Amino acid sequence: MRCGDFKENYKKDEEIFQSYFVKFWLALFFIFLLIFPFIADHYVLYMANMVGFAVIGAVGLNLLTGFTGQISLGHAAFIGVGAYASAILTTRFGLSFWLSLPLAGVVSAFAGVIIGIPSLRVKGLYLCIATLAAQFIFEFIFVHWESLTNGITGIHIPSPRLGRIEFSTEKEFYWITLFFVVVGVGYARNLVRSKMGRAFVAIRDRDLAAQIIGINLFRYKLSAFAISSFYAGIAGALWVTFLKVVTPDHFPFILSIQYLAMIIVGGLGSILGSIFGAVFMTLIPEILNYLSEIVKLYAPGKEEIFVPMKEVIFGLLIVLFLIFEPLGLAEIWNRVKNFFKLWPFSY
Amino acid sequence: MRKISIYLIIFSLSIALFYMPNTAKAEEAVTICAVHPFTGRFAFAGIHGADAMEDAINMANEEGGINGKKIQYYWADGEYKNDVGIAAFKRLYAQYKPQCMWGQSTGMTKALAPEIKDRYKVLYSAYTFAEIAANPEENPLLFLPGPTYVEQFGVVLKYIAKEKPGANIAFFYSDTEFGREPIPAGREICKKLGLNLVAEEISKVGGVDISTQILDMKRKKVDYCIFQGFVTAPIQTVIKQAKDYGLTCKFMGTFWSTEKHLLDQLGPMAGEYMGVTAYSYYYQDEFPMIKKIREWTKKNRPKYADYRSQAYMQVFMGTTLFIESLRRADNTGSITGDSMAKALASIKDFDVGGLMPPVTMKNNSIPVGRIVRGNAKTLKFDPISDWIYLD
Amino acid sequence: MDIFLQVIVTGLATGGVYGLIGLGFVLIYKATSVLNLAMGEFMTLGAFLCFTALTQLNAPFYLAFTLTLFLAFLLGFVIERLILRPLIGEPIISVIMITIGLGLILKGIMYMIWTPTFRSFPRIFPPKPLNLGFAVVPSGLLWGFIFAIIGVIIFLLIFKFSRTGVAMRATANDQQAALSMGISVKGVFALSWSFGAMASVIGGIVIGNMSGINVYMGDVGLAVLAVIILGGLDSIGGAIIGGFVVGILENLTGLYIDPLIGGGAKEVAPFFILVIILMIRPYGLFGKEIIERV
Repeated sequence: MRCGDFKENYKKDEEIFQSYFVKFWLALFFIFLLIFPFIADHYVLYMANMVGFAVIGAVGLNLLTGFTGQISLGHAAFIGVGAYASAILTTRFGLSFWLSLPLAGVVSAFAGVIIGIPSLRVKGLYLCIATLAAQFIFEFIFVHWESLTNGITGIHIPSPRLGRIEFSTEKEFYWITLFFVVVGVGYARNLVRSKMGRAFVAIRDRDLAAQIIGINLFRYKLSAFAISSFYAGIAGALWVTFLKVVTPDHFPFILSIQYLAMIIVGGLGSILGSIFGAVFMTLIPEILNYLSEIVKLYAPGKEEIFVPMKEVIFGLLIVLFLIFEPLGLAEIWNRVKNFFKLWPFSY
Repeated sequence: MRKISIYLIIFSLSIALFYMPNTAKAEEAVTICAVHPFTGRFAFAGIHGADAMEDAINMANEEGGINGKKIQYYWADGEYKNDVGIAAFKRLYAQYKPQCMWGQSTGMTKALAPEIKDRYKVLYSAYTFAEIAANPEENPLLFLPGPTYVEQFGVVLKYIAKEKPGANIAFFYSDTEFGREPIPAGREICKKLGLNLVAEEISKVGGVDISTQILDMKRKKVDYCIFQGFVTAPIQTVIKQAKDYGLTCKFMGTFWSTEKHLLDQLGPMAGEYMGVTAYSYYYQDEFPMIKKIREWTKKNRPKYADYRSQAYMQVFMGTTLFIESLRRADNTGSITGDSMAKALASIKDFDVGGLMPPVTMKNNSIPVGRIVRGNAKTLKFDPISDWIYLD
Repeated sequence: MDIFLQVIVTGLATGGVYGLIGLGFVLIYKATSVLNLAMGEFMTLGAFLCFTALTQLNAPFYLAFTLTLFLAFLLGFVIERLILRPLIGEPIISVIMITIGLGLILKGIMYMIWTPTFRSFPRIFPPKPLNLGFAVVPSGLLWGFIFAIIGVIIFLLIFKFSRTGVAMRATANDQQAALSMGISVKGVFALSWSFGAMASVIGGIVIGNMSGINVYMGDVGLAVLAVIILGGLDSIGGAIIGGFVVGILENLTGLYIDPLIGGGAKEVAPFFILVIILMIRPYGLFGKEIIERV
């Protein structure tokens, strides 16, 4: 039971995981993640991979919107850029997946910078609308730049290989996903407590004041866009390589909204929140499916109500979370943690 | 304190959900699974199609199923979105290990084709008439319960070439996989039949303003405008506004737009619209199969007793082919991917009670169709040609 | 040349309809600084309500119309009370997301009540197109245009001369000052949402009349963002003028650029316009420039 916060040097103060308790459970969690693919069936692994991609994308978006305060309605476009870049580099230029993946992230980051340029002139609502326009413009480009993207038909992507190992099933791909999720989350978590991370937060809170004390808005805003789009690009490239096909239909506006919903429900400005949000929002449709199956069992014929309910529930979740828990799941988690920290004397 | 306990309860309940009894284990029975576009832009088809499959399977089960084995049926909603559809496909496969699967769209079919061939080995068809599913060398397990879009274009263009040789043609298609798929082949067919393809108009599904497309067609003096990739909007807007702008051309469409609700939208202008269809309509109850469907619907689904759309017929036909292939494969001893593919290819002159003329699978599709024209008085489609066979 | 004039005229007419929907956005933004991204769904809801009134209740058009307007009015109040009241003071992203969430909920509910079957309005306007000699305006567009102009004029008059209008303008300008003058800010919020809902509902009826009613017709709402950014987010007249410009540009793109690149340019043209405006003149033609202080 903790009765105070005593640190003896700066290193200990800055640690991300501060108690042995947390470190122990984290290690256990990692072991679970490593054992997981051997005990789960391939549908659960499919969902695990999807959750992984969502986590990477959500972390990226949270860096931009939650930490730097730049609202982006065009995240799906960057995911698409990364996805197409990786597909084109692998199929047309014959690069191996391990090369085309980071390159795809770079291409996406570049696109992010271009879209980020208006952020220097406009802010808030107007930036939001600019990213929305970017979303539709990129969708248009995906469909119509046929010489590059193969248009509506899309591109079939071969599975990544490493020497003689081919990562083509859900179980095999899981390792790739896990690797990038861990790296991505780790990097992001460290980024936000670094100088750049603090600059981001300063820009979010009071950007004029930040500028006055010497933070170069231009540089940091563009960096935020670049890093966020890099994450999105990686998430996109992984996703479509997993699905083995990429088409323009994969990146509609509603996907951008799903990512925004993830970070809002999870918690803006919190890496842990992005993870929670991504897991939650990816699993909600599955939970609904389970519920509808159960309903089917007890009241056949009525389960058809669940089908359009998905949209209603999705929207309802967004609305309810925003009204009752604006800081998201991360906040709920914090409260539970704090409760148990002092238990049984939590009052 | 209360808030925390509420959260804990919700959390544990959701964990408990995952451990609920898996409501249906993969059984030895024959299983068919489907992803229907029950919500989303194609929902008008999914709602009827889901029923069609269930009806066909229930009817077959009443008549003894597959040599005595009952057919199990499970479906999920794909929302007409590719990723949702593919996820649903994988989930259904993992849970029920079906022998046959039905997909929701052209896009999903194209995405899953390689995996069906290599991994899943299920007999597969979908709400589509795309070429990829009529290619037995590449994809022996994919098939279409009707003519491909290209074959439908062939039927339409053949009809036009007879009515008005050398006519000016416009293709008006949607900006989707569904819309664009047959266009390149359609261009070739025009050349072969000596027709002039003078314009290609593209619109979003449900586009609000299509005046520029109409003006372009007027400018190029189009005689026949063929729609592909739309179901209702903006077809009725184009036809209505064409009159206003002084565009006098005839309008025709492919399968998914030969639905009664398009005629309802057109009202008095229904006579201007023609299309190609592969199945008999719900009101043609002179055919035994149609009568059977009508009686079944009246008994079991009275809500729809008045009308079942062509989408219903397409899925019904597809399911009938599933069941027949399963029967034939079972007769050879075991139901596997190979035996089903062979069984499907062996279907010749198969009587389907008037739903279509006797079915012979050619290259895993059924290249037959007929031209129908809208009737402004009855708001129904009347056949104006015989069954046209394409070879 | 003939075609060119026709395209301009059609563009103007379509622009009028866009302007009407843009009007809805502007009305809400002007008073509450909220960009309501659920506008498309309001439109669709209006179309469905009017359709139901016309077909199920067999009411004559003017009655159905008034009924729908009244329901829209109520809807505005309800939404303001339930959803926006708790969010006063929250950052702008929360409010935008909540309007998106609201849109999704509305879409789902409309789906459940009316099913995704395509509907068609019974004939409400005389079907004869307007023939201007050098150009033709189809009846649906024509009446949409007329409604839009009437709507704009009515709202402009309300804002300029009536007490409520002045109250709304005062609130948009400075909420604190308005409160201290005794204006009920909450009432103004509710009223502006109601007006916005009414405008978009009229837009929905017009578009529904032209191209049929369907749960997805609200997607037009997003393209209208270009209209209001061009005109200025808080300018009523700007919404209409922005509508005209975007309508004409869109149609010109459709006529000249679409055939070159195989279509689709027409739908994305508003967004290109949007980006260009944001780069050059973010506050639009008639919008007020916001000066920020630390």
